[in-house]
Amino acid sequence: MKTLKKYGPFYLLMLPVAIYFILFSYYPLVKGLQTSFQDYKLMGARPYVGFANYETVGHDPTFWNAFWNTLIIGGGIWIGGFFAPLIVALSLNEVLHRPFKKAAQLILYVPHLLSWVVIGGVCIFLLSPDTGFVNLLLGKLLGLKPINFLAEDSWARGIMIGSAVWKDMGYNCILFLAGIVAINPSLYEAARMDGATRWQQLLYVTLPQLANTMKVILLLNTLGILRIFDQIFVMRNPAIAGKVDVLMMYTFQKGIMEIRIGPAAAASFYVVLLTLLLTVAVRKMTRFDEV
Amino acid sequence: MGIDRYDRMGWKNKTFDALNYAFLLLLMLTMIVPFVNVVSLAFSSGLASMRPEMILFPKPFSTEGFRIVWQSLDLWRPFMNSAVVTVCGTAAHVLLSSLAGYVLIQPHLPGRKPMVSFLLLTMMIPQDAIMIPLYLVNKDLHLLDKLGSLVLSGMVSGFSILLMRNFFASVPYEMSESAQIDGAGTMRIFITMYMRLAKTGLATVALFEFVSRWNMLTAPVLLINDPAKTTLQVALKSMIVDTSSTSSSFLITTNVRMAGVLITMIPLLAVYPFVQRYFMKGIFLGANKE
Repeated sequence: MKTLKKYGPFYLLMLPVAIYFILFSYYPLVKGLQTSFQDYKLMGARPYVGFANYETVGHDPTFWNAFWNTLIIGGGIWIGGFFAPLIVALSLNEVLHRPFKKAAQLILYVPHLLSWVVIGGVCIFLLSPDTGFVNLLLGKLLGLKPINFLAEDSWARGIMIGSAVWKDMGYNCILFLAGIVAINPSLYEAARMDGATRWQQLLYVTLPQLANTMKVILLLNTLGILRIFDQIFVMRNPAIAGKVDVLMMYTFQKGIMEIRIGPAAAASFYVVLLTLLLTVAVRKMTRFDEV
Repeated sequence: MGIDRYDRMGWKNKTFDALNYAFLLLLMLTMIVPFVNVVSLAFSSGLASMRPEMILFPKPFSTEGFRIVWQSLDLWRPFMNSAVVTVCGTAAHVLLSSLAGYVLIQPHLPGRKPMVSFLLLTMMIPQDAIMIPLYLVNKDLHLLDKLGSLVLSGMVSGFSILLMRNFFASVPYEMSESAQIDGAGTMRIFITMYMRLAKTGLATVALFEFVSRWNMLTAPVLLINDPAKTTLQVALKSMIVDTSSTSSSFLITTNVRMAGVLITMIPLLAVYPFVQRYFMKGIFLGANKE
């Protein structure tokens, strides 16, 4: 009775949060799982159909196309989103002119702050064939004919990967820089005493010492692979849809546009399953748990 | 680490430094040039903005684009919707996260461990993967086409709760114990002590939430159909991307679109200095999950 009096108010404070999570996290998850086994109609009876929805999706070539698009685009972003910010962070670390370093960090971070509508919209304009800045510049410098970057199959995925890596570079770069700053300075001193050059210090001190930061970033970015949606939603167009439509786009189209809720829910659970698989794979690959 | 980190005299080092600066400068230009291009286009006249030229300076200077996008295309309406959703959503998010964070720092609270697990598990559920059932839940609650659904979406998160808990944990618990002995109630201690001492935490969570809410796209696309309730991101998307589907009788010129882009960016650029200040603290405390 005394504990209840003492702690009662705390449980009361926690109540809204608990209700929120049950209603908007746990219940949708369970409901989604249930729906994936149903012939779900917005009204009327919703009979259970076993694994039929999973089979429908599994036999849908559009799904597999979206699956490969996700792996290629997501994989590209995963790799590029690791190396690009790492290189930029190492390069920034070599800059001793503090105002320049600060300004660079400040500017590189801005695209991460902006939405995909803004970034994607600006990309579409910059890359447009007739009045786009990029094509005008290429024409002037190299005399190239305008390229319709966002309508050609061979460019579409590269543009998606490139713009995503470019957008989040500043963010991941800050994480790497934080890791570099945390390295014990006496390691560099010792290396210098032994006559290590600048390049050797980078190779034998900085990089090995960053191993943990690298693992964390790789793991965090893994979760993003299957969640790509906003970018594609903004930058896709019918000409390249077959090359860039990812799994989330497939779910969205099945569920919201075609109102085929059952198969959409089944597709969602393939995504959940894949997320788990990928996470485990990356944990194993980076030996995350052995730190 | 001082200036004497390397011997910077050799020609090799000098070349390296030069290349390094050039690389970073080039990278920065890929961000500065598009921005300058967008700004100049937005402040150009309609005709000038449609010409195939690399425009890095508005000529002739005109605010016509802003006038058209704000008044003729009614961008003020989605702007206000976004503002309402962002402000209400952020306020609710900060309040709920800090309340829950406050509960979690009570050292002897029975059932604290399961509560933490309950929260951590929500962070494992990929929100986007459950977008179809989330749509159904909102439909069942009659929230579709209501701005309330956007405030509710992501109204609290495990991440923010843990962040607030970690900020509160830096306030010595003895202080709240002695306040209790002096007869202060639970809420009073929370407001007068924790909310005041963990201002940095409140600011961090508020800024993160502000940015992600202003940029929110999936939720409004999913839950809002009524054009009067649409948010700025969705309105901008249809203005920029879905050119063919715009029903307006006149052609939307580039300066108008770029004015829309700038208007969408302004609130974020306004809070950017603060984001810079709180960003690092947020990442590190957020990473610490017990």
